Amino acid sequence: MKASVEWLKEYSDIDVDTIKLGDILTMTGSKVEEIIEKGNDIKNVVVGKILEIKKHPNADKLVVTRVDIGTEEVQIVTGAKNIKENDIIPIAKDGAELPGGKKIVKSPLRGVDSCGMMCSVGELGLDIKDYPDQIEDGIMILPASYEKDLGKDIVDVLNLREDIIDFEITPNRPDCLSIEGLGRETAASLGKEFKNPRKNLDELEVENKKEIEGLKVDITAPDLCYRYIARVVKNVKIGPSPEWMQRRLKACGVRSINNIVDITNYVMLELGQPMHAFDINSIEGKHITVRRAKNGEKITTLDGVERELNADNLVIADEKKPVAIAGVMGGENSEIEDDTKTVVFESAVFYGGSVRKTAKKVGLRTEASSRYEKGLSSENAIRAINRAVELVVELGAGEEVPGKVDVYPTKQKINKIKLDVDRINDLLGTNISKEEMISILEKLDIKVENDYAIAPYFRMDLEFVADIAEEIARYYGYDKLETTLIKAEATLGVRTKEQKIEQKIENVLVDNGLSEIYTYGFVGEKDLEKSKIRKELVDNAIEILNPLSDDYKLMRPTTIPSMMQILALNNNRKNPNVKLFDISRSYRNINGEVEKGEIPLQENILTIGMYGDDVDFYTLKGLIENVLESSNVNHYDIEKEKNNGSYHPGRCANIKVGLDVIATIGEVHPEVLMNYDINKRCYLAELNISKVVKYSKQNKKYQEVPKFPAVERDIAIAVDEEIEVGEIEKAITKKAKRLLKGKKGLEGIKLFDIYRDEKIGKGKKSIAYSLIFRDKTKSMSDEEINPVMEEITKELEEKFGAILRK
Amino acid sequence: MKEEIAKIKENSIKEMESCKDLKTLNDVRVKYLGKKGELTLVLRGMGKLSPEERPVIGSLVNEVRDELNNLLEQKEKELKSEELQRKLETENIDVTEPSKKIALGSLHPITQVIEEVEEIFLGMGYEIADGPEVEKATYNFDKLNTPPDHPARDIQDTFYINDDILLRSQTSPVQARVMEEKKPPIKIICPGAVYRSDSVDATHSPVFHQIEGLVVDKHISMTDLKGTLEMFAKKCLGENTKIRFRPHHFPFTEPSAEADVSCFVCGGKGCKVCKGEGWIELLGCGMVHPNVFKYCGIDPDEYTGFAFGFGVERIAMAKFGIEDMRLLFENDVRFLKQF
Repeated sequence: MKASVEWLKEYSDIDVDTIKLGDILTMTGSKVEEIIEKGNDIKNVVVGKILEIKKHPNADKLVVTRVDIGTEEVQIVTGAKNIKENDIIPIAKDGAELPGGKKIVKSPLRGVDSCGMMCSVGELGLDIKDYPDQIEDGIMILPASYEKDLGKDIVDVLNLREDIIDFEITPNRPDCLSIEGLGRETAASLGKEFKNPRKNLDELEVENKKEIEGLKVDITAPDLCYRYIARVVKNVKIGPSPEWMQRRLKACGVRSINNIVDITNYVMLELGQPMHAFDINSIEGKHITVRRAKNGEKITTLDGVERELNADNLVIADEKKPVAIAGVMGGENSEIEDDTKTVVFESAVFYGGSVRKTAKKVGLRTEASSRYEKGLSSENAIRAINRAVELVVELGAGEEVPGKVDVYPTKQKINKIKLDVDRINDLLGTNISKEEMISILEKLDIKVENDYAIAPYFRMDLEFVADIAEEIARYYGYDKLETTLIKAEATLGVRTKEQKIEQKIENVLVDNGLSEIYTYGFVGEKDLEKSKIRKELVDNAIEILNPLSDDYKLMRPTTIPSMMQILALNNNRKNPNVKLFDISRSYRNINGEVEKGEIPLQENILTIGMYGDDVDFYTLKGLIENVLESSNVNHYDIEKEKNNGSYHPGRCANIKVGLDVIATIGEVHPEVLMNYDINKRCYLAELNISKVVKYSKQNKKYQEVPKFPAVERDIAIAVDEEIEVGEIEKAITKKAKRLLKGKKGLEGIKLFDIYRDEKIGKGKKSIAYSLIFRDKTKSMSDEEINPVMEEITKELEEKFGAILRK
Repeated sequence: MKEEIAKIKENSIKEMESCKDLKTLNDVRVKYLGKKGELTLVLRGMGKLSPEERPVIGSLVNEVRDELNNLLEQKEKELKSEELQRKLETENIDVTEPSKKIALGSLHPITQVIEEVEEIFLGMGYEIADGPEVEKATYNFDKLNTPPDHPARDIQDTFYINDDILLRSQTSPVQARVMEEKKPPIKIICPGAVYRSDSVDATHSPVFHQIEGLVVDKHISMTDLKGTLEMFAKKCLGENTKIRFRPHHFPFTEPSAEADVSCFVCGGKGCKVCKGEGWIELLGCGMVHPNVFKYCGIDPDEYTGFAFGFGVERIAMAKFGIEDMRLLFENDVRFLKQF
């Protein structure tokens, strides 16, 4: 809401400059968005008179002039065509500043000194539309009567100085979307008397009639229209509104149209109540009905656009057709024309929610609708319409027809709130006396009677003690509130198990050289295709009703596409050796939760993405093992996974606890890489953090450091290529466990070599292990170990067809 | 015989002194003091001496032997030390050559800010709470005193899944969830991603992060809120940070305020970051609205509380001097490695 300081001064004495005023109002809750000091950007521009024009000795297109600028005569060189001797014009003197930061300095032009510049309308930052007599590409020629102002500042002479404050008004204060409301806040903030220049409106009584000039009003949707008042003015002479009114409208950012329309806008700005004006002759049957629109009913609004309505939308209609969309915009069919003679003013109050919905549906958010949607006072509506009629008479724009048609089915409720001094002080942490509270409230026209604060009609936002507390705090001063610390039971601030594990995982990954990324939860259908996400997951994706674009249409059912995008970006930028991780969510609508209005599955996923010289499947595997170890997940299996489309079928594994897959790791499928234009092998891992938390067991117990040495035995076998070393290790462990009991056992298996050559044969590989045995009670002898080694060898021969290599 | 001993002594000392390494020194030892060494032989030849001479010569030999041993020991030390010195000289390295290490990775600036804030509030006895991002409209709006027709639902252009389910536009729904589940005292912060229908540009992103705080107990006051935030601002942004409350409006708090902090880049003198104002708008806050208490099953006559919430990206950007928000979500590793 823009307000000119000049207009605010009608409501309150203002004895501070505009910047200070803005600061003060900001601190009492009317936040200043911008201060516009019009005319401040023009400096050292004065009224001058051209005394003489001579040819320029060195240039055909320039002339040399002598100009009287009041205090002296100066020489100015110009290329202007529209000047003649004795013209009165604005002169930017040596050292002048013009809007846009342009500075004028004395300098020679083609060898002749020029001590200033003659200004055009545009160079003064003015709008040519406001000066219809002037030309756009010439010097501004002032009327001869301005000769008396020679040498005076052009800003004062043309009355260009105007301070405008643009306020950010919060939605609870529609009353401040008016100069009156802001004037009240200004007076209270400055500690001045609220002058209330429209006091007459509070006392004015206008007779209520069934009809005036044959006009009747009915409301058939009282749930959406709380009050509808019509008044009539006749013998109207449509014309421009006076300069002072146009100026105020302009300061508030409203375009002047004609006196009647300007009055409706002026009243809206002054009192905060949107107004509408119809030509009475365009109202068929002179009968206004406020009703719900019929489904599919159409109206062409004042902006010339045809709009389709439905039964949720409220319209103002005559006997045949809608003439306005209630609270949003009038119809073209009832517009005020140059020959309009009788005008019907409308001042009505509609249900804000409905106006908001309608405005949204027809795609029209207007000055009117943005006020209505916040909920307006029915008591203010009558003041506004009377003010409009008063202005018509004052401006000589027409004659008042006495009486009003006022349909007011739902009387506005006036809230009374207990002034509970202790509770207010308890809530604010203050010690404000009752007297001070009352005096603050009265400044805001909130009367206190019998310990109850009575919310004035324009303050429908005041309902609770907390609301009253806020009013008191605002004017007591938020900056005067002390800073205290909570005096309450001590509470424990600790991270949950999941939060601790998450932090630990972050640390392990950073220590291992990975950088954390942040990705959006959105993906497009294309991303899921590119990453070859399996159908069951694609089907789980949650679709956004109003996405920003197709690329952001779905909530990702897996984090893979997000990571692939980032790997692709880094590869595209030729960043070598990229190691990334992301802890964020996947979103899956598995059992139609979303359709049932329930929350879908949202799991916290660690995603790792890597490429580079020092990375392969086994580095990734090691990384995940470290992550699991740091999270105290100690028992898990690693199993080959051949059917996950995003991964290389021969280089992918699931990590399982029992049957539960907690992670998938592997090399990215070459087709996926191709889809992302990546020309190198990439590695991906997804780890379900909630599951890690579930299987994390923190039960470490000290075990005695062994006193007796271990015995190490090597064994090398040749097996078929397909046999996984994991299987062999499992078999060795199992066998050893059966053979060695009690304090004796196989302590570790170390794979120290795998190789392939012609001697071993095609399709075979040689694997060499060190087996570490230990007896906790004594040194182990060969006699004990030899049979065990023999049994293990036999087992491997039988189970895997292994050939012992010597 | 005495002369012979003196001669041995003289020769051996001479030889000892000319030794350049441990091996030759050892040879000298063997030559004179070994089993067949010259001095040892003198001792063995003592049988030929008269009983009177024997003790005299014996003690003389022992004397010389001790002396030689001492000298040998000393010489040995010297040589060892010289040898070590030579070895050390050959092992000289260039300490400015590159190190061998696993290069560390990095935590994203958003995480760094979140964790810093978390630490501060954990220290003040707050717990960290979490909630769904795909959220029910009731939690995002209704229970926060923002009924279906409320204009605030317009202001925060929300992504909807359907009429009942949406992408949370604020972290505040976590407040409502915690209040429903827990009895006061409640002291929580909830960091997390939130969604608003803004196109991506230098200062906007459809996904960004907020940290929400909520305290509910008996006699919680607005000055407590101010004190808490001041303490937080000092710990997070520097001990000299000042805080300023301005009245504002939020549907879920009353009274409500916006809190500014003195610019932590220029200290309040005015700079590019604070746009010359000396203050930076940090967060929105206020006393929990009685309707919110009512909707979440807490008696507004018994309890009061405060809530606050702020954007993480803005703090991260100001703190690290990042001017374009897009960098935070682009994830170029050359950007990430800087933090």
